[in-house]
Amino acid sequence: MRRMESSAGTTSVDLSIPVRADLVVLARLAAATLASRVGFGVEDIEDLRLAVEELCLSVVGSDDDGRLHLNYECEGDAITVTCRYEADRAPSGSRLGASDDLSLRILDALVDDHGHELRDHRPSAWLSKRRSDAAPLRRDAGAS
Amino acid sequence: MDQSFSIETTEIDGIPVVTVSGEIDVATAPPLRDRLQSLSSSGTPTVVVDLLGVTFLDSTALGVLVGALKRCRESGGDLPLVIGEPRILKVFEITGLTGVFPIFDSVGEAARSVK
Repeated sequence: MRRMESSAGTTSVDLSIPVRADLVVLARLAAATLASRVGFGVEDIEDLRLAVEELCLSVVGSDDDGRLHLNYECEGDAITVTCRYEADRAPSGSRLGASDDLSLRILDALVDDHGHELRDHRPSAWLSKRRSDAAPLRRDAGAS
Repeated sequence: MDQSFSIETTEIDGIPVVTVSGEIDVATAPPLRDRLQSLSSSGTPTVVVDLLGVTFLDSTALGVLVGALKRCRESGGDLPLVIGEPRILKVFEITGLTGVFPIFDSVGEAARSVK
């Protein structure tokens, strides 16, 4: 695991794990630890743990090998997690884009925003979650 | 596999009760699926699944339970769930599954519902 801290107060952590069912727990453990450090409450942390699990499941299938590369960016009261799959061959069972999937319903409910993309046959997905007790975003920022 | 994960099968008033403890995720869902499939194969139409000791549950676990519910109903039975933890109930609520599974607060209530 690698951690970098910018002068602007953004913390970036990279985690790379082999695609193995029993190691996905590391992805959600890292998310929970970082969320705790930036002041997320218990419920937000639990939501993020589950969302990160679903994020990982959305890019790989059970028959895949290779690695999952996760990046966690903590900035202010928000965390953005990106999950990218890398292997010599394309993933067999990616659920990317399956709009009726339980996994996507969970992500829709638990995070503020999420998305996915396919680049060179390699899926990646991301999510963003703000602390629920954070001040709401001002959509009229800049207006007088 | 999560060391705290466990599955135990008992009976209450002749109805099988599968008690699960710990985290049900992509790593631990397969043994739960195997246990429920095994009960189904042995001709048991109704199984109570006790999730009171479950601390985490993902979409893989939901998929296993939905598959088991389908098998039970095809055999004329049901798959009542026992859930106590609000965090676990929330996962069923956000996926719309509270309207699909019969959900109870205690194993006794769940068993009485299918007698």
